[in-house]
Amino acid sequence: MNMLTFFDPASADLEAPDLEDVRSVTEDVWMALLGEDEALAPRAVPAGAPFDAAGAWSAAVTVTGGWQGVITIELDETVARTVTARMLDIPTVDEVHDGDAADAVGELVNMVGGSIKSLMPGPSTLSLPSVAAGRAAFASDVQEVCRVDVAWRGGPVRVCVHVPQGGPR
Amino acid sequence: MRAMIIDDSRAMRSILRHIVTGLDFETAEAVHGQDALDQLRSGPVPDICLVDWNMPVMDGYTFITEVRANPAWRDITLMMVTTEGEQRNIVRALAAGAHEYVIKPFTPDAIVEKLELLGLLNHDAAPDGVLA
Amino acid sequence: MTTPTAFASVSALVRRETSMVYDEGKEYLVEARLAPLAAAKGMDLETYVSRLAFDPDERRKVIDALTINETSWFRDHTPYQAFTDAILPDLLERRSTTRRLRIWSAACSSGQEAYSIAMLLDQHLPAGWEYEIVATDIATTMLERVKSGRYSQVEVNRGLPATSLVRYFNRVGREWEIAERLRQRITVRHLNLAAPYVALGTFDMIWLRNVLIYFDAPTKQDILRRMLPMLSLDGYLLLGSSETTLDLPDDLAAAWRREPIGRVQAHRRANAPVAQPTPSHLTLTGA
Repeated sequence: MNMLTFFDPASADLEAPDLEDVRSVTEDVWMALLGEDEALAPRAVPAGAPFDAAGAWSAAVTVTGGWQGVITIELDETVARTVTARMLDIPTVDEVHDGDAADAVGELVNMVGGSIKSLMPGPSTLSLPSVAAGRAAFASDVQEVCRVDVAWRGGPVRVCVHVPQGGPR
Repeated sequence: MRAMIIDDSRAMRSILRHIVTGLDFETAEAVHGQDALDQLRSGPVPDICLVDWNMPVMDGYTFITEVRANPAWRDITLMMVTTEGEQRNIVRALAAGAHEYVIKPFTPDAIVEKLELLGLLNHDAAPDGVLA
Repeated sequence: MTTPTAFASVSALVRRETSMVYDEGKEYLVEARLAPLAAAKGMDLETYVSRLAFDPDERRKVIDALTINETSWFRDHTPYQAFTDAILPDLLERRSTTRRLRIWSAACSSGQEAYSIAMLLDQHLPAGWEYEIVATDIATTMLERVKSGRYSQVEVNRGLPATSLVRYFNRVGREWEIAERLRQRITVRHLNLAAPYVALGTFDMIWLRNVLIYFDAPTKQDILRRMLPMLSLDGYLLLGSSETTLDLPDDLAAAWRREPIGRVQAHRRANAPVAQPTPSHLTLTGA
């Protein structure tokens, strides 16, 4: 599980990224990796609902500096393995090992998180990704400010942005 | 032509390897800047390095400054391939000695066109714009 | 999936309105570009296509979607090399009294060609020179994009030198906006290349790249014939690298002269003076 680390809430100018920006960034990453035709479908999910895939992979990067936040991606197990197979050129999904998925999902969140960092006040530093087999877990000192729920080939994908408590209202 | 792909993600190295081997490049791979420096010292010197920015042990920016500090490596073309997309970071990398900069995510065409821009692709195609 | 009937009707529509040809085998392209339009209307592709006959707004959108060229900065590279190495030095000499250049980016699409030229002129034009780039396209949505001068991250990755990105663009959220001083030099005009060219003036150089391939043979010839008076007597026309197998009638073949410049074949009016790239031409006279 990803346990998110601690912020110094006093140090940063707190701001939330625009929802449409986060959605577009996610789509850009998806289409660049998988092709123009592999669009992500929007998905209506009630606020506060946990990520609802039966099996899941998750990964997070932390941004510190001019903006502070955590960007998390959660993917349905089959989606994660299919994307991994494409990225690593593995012929069938059955041959995707956990280590492969961890690497690919980590690179996904690196790209999404890095793109979001570029939209926010800087200068900031992007952490290396941390990856987990399973849903993401969020520390109690952060609050969700942005969430994009989409589906690829029917499997759910979620991107979340959290900022330190006491952030924007 | 030889390309060294420097990225801590195996998936990203795989994607880049496919693109450049399709252009008849031979490839070497390094998992961070220090690994790349070690390989440069011991092995054949590549024509180009594709360099990620955020990596463990030694990041890509430090790697570029190290390469540029060694006159023996001045012929190596350096291209950043990174998710760092802020203008100031692009300026920093160019000032440190990077020749080109590709922001992740990218499409394969973007890499091909940058290599073309850097004069690293052979042109044996027909001349441009002939009316027969 | 598009049915053959739906494809044929879209293909006929595009041909009627633009003279552009979408042959069989381009179904995938039509489908990829129209699917988002159909989805926006909440229809499947076939229903959407069947209603086009009654909806001029949607017809306009279809034409726009199908006439967009995929473009990158400094596309193919060699024409731009020829421009800075040979064409521009020649024009600088020939226009030294007026100190003004007019360039036409025909079928400008989202403007990468026009702005690539503008970047080169910004770097290479001596102080005191003026230039205007007229960018025309049949797709009005594209003209809006050219005017805004904003490009996505994916677009600025495509063939644009990083030094030019930091020099000529500013990051605005997810997009990159081209510098005001370049945007001021671009004049945007709506134009169907198959229709008359009215009130455009003449040009020192015309970039007509990767667009003739979309037209049927008579239209291609007609365009090349009507390009002649648009180009100043000593001007340059550049075509795309794939537009190499045009079968021209004798009068037209005689009206255009090919001139190799580096790796590019430029086209000049048949009676144009020969380019003078080096001073050595002076010794060739009277031998």
